[in-house]
Amino acid sequence: MRVLWTNIDYAASVVLFLIGLYAVIAKGNLIKKLMGLNIMETAVFAFVMATGIVTGGDAPILGKGAEPPFANPLPQALILTGIVVALSTTALALSLIMRIYERHGTIESDDLWGVE
Amino acid sequence: MRRALIIALLVLAAVPLLFGVSQLPPIGSTGNPTYTHVVPRYLEEGAEEAGAENIVTAVILNYRGYDTNGEVTVIFTALVAVLGVLTFAKATAAKSEPAEETPVPAPPMPVSPVTRFIVRILAPFILLFSIYMVIYGHTSPGGGFQGGTIVGALLIAVSLVSGSAQAKRLLPERIRPWLQPAAVLAFALVGVAGLWLIGPYLSFPVEGELVFLRTPWLTIIEFGIGIGGAAIVASIFWAMEGSD
Amino acid sequence: MDGGHWPAVLVVTPLVGAALCPIIGRRFPNFAGYWALGVFTAVSVAAGAVTYAVSTNGPFSYHMGGWPPPFGIELRFDEFSASVAVIALIGWLAILYSLSYAKHAVPEERLPYYYALLLLCLGGMAGFAVTGDIFNMFVFLEILSLSSYALVAIAGERIAELASFKYLVMGAVSSLTILFAIGFLYALTGTLNMGDLSVRLAGVETFPAAVAVAALTLGFSVKAALFPLHIWLPDAHATAPSPVSAILSGLVVKVGVLGMLRMYQMLYDSQVFDLKMLNDTLMWLGAISIVMGALFAMVQEDIKMMLAYSTISNIGYIFMGLGLASTFGIIGGAVHVFNHAIIKATLFLGAGALIYQTGYRDLKDLRGIGKAMPVTSACIAIGAVSIVGIPPTAGFLCKWYIALGAIEAGRIFFAVTLLFGALLIFVYYIRMLNAFYFTPPLHAHLMDVGEVPLTMLVPIVVLAILCLVMGVFGRIPLSFIEPAVIDMLAPLGG
Repeated sequence: MRVLWTNIDYAASVVLFLIGLYAVIAKGNLIKKLMGLNIMETAVFAFVMATGIVTGGDAPILGKGAEPPFANPLPQALILTGIVVALSTTALALSLIMRIYERHGTIESDDLWGVE
Repeated sequence: MRRALIIALLVLAAVPLLFGVSQLPPIGSTGNPTYTHVVPRYLEEGAEEAGAENIVTAVILNYRGYDTNGEVTVIFTALVAVLGVLTFAKATAAKSEPAEETPVPAPPMPVSPVTRFIVRILAPFILLFSIYMVIYGHTSPGGGFQGGTIVGALLIAVSLVSGSAQAKRLLPERIRPWLQPAAVLAFALVGVAGLWLIGPYLSFPVEGELVFLRTPWLTIIEFGIGIGGAAIVASIFWAMEGSD
Repeated sequence: MDGGHWPAVLVVTPLVGAALCPIIGRRFPNFAGYWALGVFTAVSVAAGAVTYAVSTNGPFSYHMGGWPPPFGIELRFDEFSASVAVIALIGWLAILYSLSYAKHAVPEERLPYYYALLLLCLGGMAGFAVTGDIFNMFVFLEILSLSSYALVAIAGERIAELASFKYLVMGAVSSLTILFAIGFLYALTGTLNMGDLSVRLAGVETFPAAVAVAALTLGFSVKAALFPLHIWLPDAHATAPSPVSAILSGLVVKVGVLGMLRMYQMLYDSQVFDLKMLNDTLMWLGAISIVMGALFAMVQEDIKMMLAYSTISNIGYIFMGLGLASTFGIIGGAVHVFNHAIIKATLFLGAGALIYQTGYRDLKDLRGIGKAMPVTSACIAIGAVSIVGIPPTAGFLCKWYIALGAIEAGRIFFAVTLLFGALLIFVYYIRMLNAFYFTPPLHAHLMDVGEVPLTMLVPIVVLAILCLVMGVFGRIPLSFIEPAVIDMLAPLGG
């Protein structure tokens, strides 16, 4: 349990991930599913960023006044890419929801089941 | 009932995950494999080898530039995907599609004159700031994406307060398809130059007589990312708005 | 660095070509298609060069940016990366086919975007197959996934957007799960390079590593449509335009399999924990997929839905082969990736030709088409025979290898399941061929349709011929893959 407290950032991301997953699975409205997806994405970003935390570390920008220890730059670089990926997925998903709405008049998945 | 089942399953999944997470190396410690294996070289040699004091920029553009190349391709894919799904011929508008009950769209919210005034006054300064961010990405937090997103958001803000027609004058239809792939093309340009002059694709000069090329190359990529990002974000917004 | 600069050409050309597609297609949308074909010809040449380099010199790597791994990103070409050859082949034929098909299926103003998305999807898969860095793998996974979601929806068919959305949600969740696992692996070992991971995984805590492996397996299984995570596939593959269906069923689902192979390479190399439970699970799920896919396929009326469920069934074979963890099993599974791609592409392009000419998708409406469109129907028949696995066609040898693998591992039950599955497949393809050739047409005007245009006919015929060729010369891919599999299983002691 004590170790879980040290790694509380990781634990929190896991919980957030599962909350997002709940929203994706259980919510009927397509927009809410998409929001759940966004929550999951944020959770994963927080998780990867947490691997880069250095206690008492400075931003990894050298130059005047910067001293070691520095925070880990690698996860930050990875997450910059990840954020762009999340943006892309959300943009496409929203466009699809728009088209589904125009075509079927509803975005509740219960009503949409009958269409197929 | 169904919800209870889903919650129960997720709680069940949480247990091994939390257990696994607690066994990961402790957060924040400098003895972690994440901190001792690859990263010391980035931090120690990054400024000279890679040409940027902001080590994150050094990693993004130089050490792992190929990943960033992939990423600008992802956002370009998003643009093409959105356009592919939402584009309709000018003659037959999408609205003529029969749908069961299309509810009446909500009337547009009137724009407050205060908002309009502030956005229009601030716009040039925001633009200047974003250019500053793109250029200073090497020595301070910032970089191509950051600057580009700000410009994209600025275009969206201008669209919201002054109408899309006004905003589109800032990024006319004719040049838009040339600006959208700017990031991908900038990477290809610099990458091929690196291939030709130095070594494998996307290599940057480390020392020797060609080192003076490094900063211009990095700057070209930064601007490419910035312009491309801005054009793509704005284009996605306008495509969704459907006003094209 | 043995491959010269071909690796860079291979991954960069399709992406840049796609970036220029919208510009080129502005004035003349059809021109985008010719541009795409030209670009992809260059990509195919690069793919051929790289495959040739691997087959003559063995595995090699290419350091992007000149930085050695693990500081930079490494492209690692081993025999599994030679899947770019199949990607190039089927991609090129699909683009050629699209030149006629897309004009009719996709609205004209969207054509430049269609070709751009095709290039991005194929380029993304090429990048995925050749990379040696797990985060880079994720980036290219997203390129190919996003473009495939859009390609399903681009024709704007009745339920295409809904199918695409369902595909997107499940695909995005699986991608996030994979990213989560990548984070775990990074936290445990501090590196992102696959070769480096194989070494460093040996010394880590086993439980978190197991969690990461479970997450990776879940993520890749969704991408590969393994039971019970297959539910996105039937609608998505059936409502997409036919050349897209060929690429989706033939190539995109195999990306999940390739991801699993890469994961296995790291796991067997590092021996971080015993994989028995994982392998057993995959075997069972594979077996269930085989039977369930076949049963569902039997009751479908729509020809493309039938083919989609058939894909699920064949993926079951591949996973069963992987799970058997014996040399024959894995070789059979890996080569089936190639062979099934060729066979399924034949079938989907052929079905697309039928739909293009007649406008009908249901089997009952297509009765008697065998006489009206003899060439296409013959090619579909060859594809059907191949997929059942009758020698000397492409499907036979790999299924034979998987069965041998099952016997080698002492799991006779699975060999029996394989035969049972083949029998079920036989039933539903016979049903289809019966409808084409031996029943009188429901619609008299059906007899008046002719064959499809040449740009559509040529790919179908080429692929059908390949089904036969790969059957006769089936030993070649099998012995090609063998070194990689033996290398992978070596740490286990054989």
